[in-house]
Amino acid sequence: MTDKTTAQGATPGGPGNDEADATTTRAAVVAEAADGTSRSLTADAFRSLRRNPFFWISSALIVIFMLMAVWPSLFTTYDLGFNDLSRSRETPSGAHWFGTDTQGADIYTRTVYGARASILVGVLATTGVLLLGSLLGLIAGYVGGWVDTLISRLGDIFFAIPLLLVGIIFLSSLQDTPTLLGIPIQGYFGVIFQVVLVFVLFGWPSLMRLMRSSVIQVKPNDYVQAARALGATPMRIIRRHVLPNAMAPAIVVATINLGAYIAAEATLSFLGIGLRPPTVSWGVMINDGLTPLRASPHILFFPALFLSIAVLAFIMLGDAVRDAFDPKSR
Amino acid sequence: MSTQTTPATGEQHLLEVEDLHVEFHTSEGVAKAINGVDFSLDEGETLAILGESGSGKSVTAQAIMGILDMPPATIPAGRVLYKGQDLLTMPEEERRLTRGPEISMIFQDALSSLNPVFPVGWQIAEMFRVHRGVNKADAYAQAIKLMERVNIPAAKDRVKAYPHQFSGGMRQRIMIAMAIALDPKVLIADEPTTALDVTVQAQIMALLQELQEEFRMGLILITHDLGVVADVADRIAVMYAGRIVERAEVGDIYARPGHPYTKGLLESIPRLDQKGQKLSAIGGLPPNLTRIPPGCAFHPRCVMAQDICRTERPELLDVGPQRQSACHFSQEVLDA
Amino acid sequence: MGKYIVRRLLQMIPVVILSTFLIYAMVFAMPGDPTAGKCGERPCPAAYIEKFNAKYHLDEPLPVQYGYYAKNVVQGDLGENQYGRPVAEELSERFTVTAKLAVMALIFEGVIGILAGVLAGLRKGGFIDNLVLISTLFVISVPIFVTGFAAQYFLGLKWEIFPALATGKDPSLFSLVLPAMVLGSTSLAYIARLMRSNIAENIKSDYVRTAKAKGLTPRRVVGVHTLRNSLIPVVTFMGYDFGALLGGAIVTEGIFGINGVGGYIFKGIQNRDGIAVVGAVTALVIVYLLMNLLVDLLYGALDPRISND
Repeated sequence: MTDKTTAQGATPGGPGNDEADATTTRAAVVAEAADGTSRSLTADAFRSLRRNPFFWISSALIVIFMLMAVWPSLFTTYDLGFNDLSRSRETPSGAHWFGTDTQGADIYTRTVYGARASILVGVLATTGVLLLGSLLGLIAGYVGGWVDTLISRLGDIFFAIPLLLVGIIFLSSLQDTPTLLGIPIQGYFGVIFQVVLVFVLFGWPSLMRLMRSSVIQVKPNDYVQAARALGATPMRIIRRHVLPNAMAPAIVVATINLGAYIAAEATLSFLGIGLRPPTVSWGVMINDGLTPLRASPHILFFPALFLSIAVLAFIMLGDAVRDAFDPKSR
Repeated sequence: MSTQTTPATGEQHLLEVEDLHVEFHTSEGVAKAINGVDFSLDEGETLAILGESGSGKSVTAQAIMGILDMPPATIPAGRVLYKGQDLLTMPEEERRLTRGPEISMIFQDALSSLNPVFPVGWQIAEMFRVHRGVNKADAYAQAIKLMERVNIPAAKDRVKAYPHQFSGGMRQRIMIAMAIALDPKVLIADEPTTALDVTVQAQIMALLQELQEEFRMGLILITHDLGVVADVADRIAVMYAGRIVERAEVGDIYARPGHPYTKGLLESIPRLDQKGQKLSAIGGLPPNLTRIPPGCAFHPRCVMAQDICRTERPELLDVGPQRQSACHFSQEVLDA
Repeated sequence: MGKYIVRRLLQMIPVVILSTFLIYAMVFAMPGDPTAGKCGERPCPAAYIEKFNAKYHLDEPLPVQYGYYAKNVVQGDLGENQYGRPVAEELSERFTVTAKLAVMALIFEGVIGILAGVLAGLRKGGFIDNLVLISTLFVISVPIFVTGFAAQYFLGLKWEIFPALATGKDPSLFSLVLPAMVLGSTSLAYIARLMRSNIAENIKSDYVRTAKAKGLTPRRVVGVHTLRNSLIPVVTFMGYDFGALLGGAIVTEGIFGINGVGGYIFKGIQNRDGIAVVGAVTALVIVYLLMNLLVDLLYGALDPRISND
């Protein structure tokens, strides 16, 4: 037996039932010998991730978008405020790669600057959902009993309402409210806060369910029971036994969600209740491009292209990570 | 009882497997699941194929049935003669028509092997409807008869019930009813009792034997459990790493195993008359089929292994009347 | 089956009550003036505010307010829009178009999605499989309003294959084809992927091996034994999706100028007609939840393992 035998490599296309069993047992023995099943599985997952071109393409795109969000002037020579009304709605040229919009502003520059709002919403909402959902899921799974029931049922309720519908109601009722709990919620960061808030408020159940089920999965195991009996704190048990198992699916759900939040933010802005002009965001720009669509489709095309690529990058990354950690999904 | 030696004895067996090879092409390399298996089966005879997980016994069964997934499986060599006709070279459509009326198979886990979304009666009746074109009502009537035949109580009321509503033993009876629906000549039972309680195991084995006598079927019983085999089988073929390592009549093997592997298997069964003695199990694990050891595949686990075992593969040779063993030291094993 | 229905119904009741309460709380219990943004760009006249307060019992504690509101909703009163027309009445006029659109989208996504999924799942790793995987990745990634504009611009305006708009009280079925395709596109991708993985998994299952051992034709092995099991989750998904399509047509109906429920919300947002938006969305959420319930019951009927306990 060499160290090349791994749990995943052995299963696909395995012969009959008993053969497959045999190879898995064998693999398990090897994995145990290599100090812990999860570690060798993880190492294998990263190896297959590194071989996946989709992983590299999506990572590169995400890095570029992140850079755009943090340091937009790196990508463009025009100032964001630049506009030349005499050059309104020009098609792409050497001076204006993506052409100009109705105000005569450089669409390329605006599209680059527009990345910030989308990335900000996506990253903040995902972080919030990850924190809130994981925390509630860990509590529900660990404490159990009526606490579990309460959190799970609450999750059902928040999960029952479609995100777009609830976003519309939430944002339209806050449209003219200057502060929420003392926090100013108008202006660039205010509106981003609103959007993030509604996504977190209604997005946490997916992560909660995931974390809860991983806790419930490991809790009855003898070694966890033994650790508890020996006085290991819940924190330690969660860090040692729950998180290693839940990490990969949580990352997958979070990255795919990140893409979905970017798309949802753009949709709300496009509907006119998310970010609004003069804020620059892809959704706002697409809304701007609506009226002159027939004559100047490029005004709408470029921000839409960037938006789609950004969403694609995150979903692609999520897909790649899932394929790596769950080879059966291929 | 027919003799089992090389083919071309002139006399035609019901089923004859010759030099069968099966390989699986996986990402890890080529897994050689079966490496030249020969055996024959006659009407009314029970052949037990014995081996650990991964020995190739289930793959052999599936290759005979023609239900291996190809790819990843390939059959690079061998013949499976049924009444003298090679099933492996037969056109697929013709071969399909042999499944059910000629050769039939039951599986280990009846719960997962029955379709969960169709009533059991429907699944039995399907045999009559597809192969014989019987109409729905008649097919159901036949299904009820079969369910009664395999001793399912209240068959008439339960014909429309779903698999998950039956107990494990009852589900295996349903599998059996389905398999014998069209009076097959060969029945392959792949670990038919492994998933069941001990008392139910005995009932199912009794039922299989009863049906075999009634229909004069040739029965191939695949199992890893020597205990199941003892009362039922006429002959036993022991498989290891895709080869038959020993073949004999059932009494001979129990009395005097001719291969260290068989011996190890026998010694790992707890016995009443040896109470208090240490139970010995065979050390180590079956080999990875992509890297079968050179020489005798069993040598890394064999207590008797010598240098020759590591380099030269022992052939399956006659070691007594109607028995063969593939071991350089078979005589020593027999004499021990 | 009976027990299952009762159990599902009982589970549903708190979800409906609490989710409508959530919506209510978001609209009326937020800090600030609840009438803000309910009268277009201008602040509301004093008389309107007074009438509004009285109608929604805003001087009472929140749960009591919600009680009144729930009573109104149950009686079919969703409030009046800025022109004084009852929202419920306006919605019922527009529901037919939306339902038509949703049914067309459902047929489109179901037929093509299932077909693509089956072809991909039967030959995993093959050309069709990769084609389906990559094209669905793109369809899922492109936000629906981008898909909508692209379809409208190219298929409607530039190449004039389909009508670019479906305005009017009763648009023709043909003019609804393009919007239906746009509306169903994302779900089509999900259905194709779901079907693909189901087929690929079930084709390896023990009962499919049994079906082969029974000597059934390959067509019957796939078409009856594999398909039936693989379809159950897909049909369930389509059921949930129908609820979402009825409510999710806001963007699509907005783009194609369709006078349905979604278009009504789209215009309501643009005209800042708060009551109309909230009323319509509340109605949609309720429709959505009821559809989910219906689907759960359907699932029980489709999968004997669920209902026949």
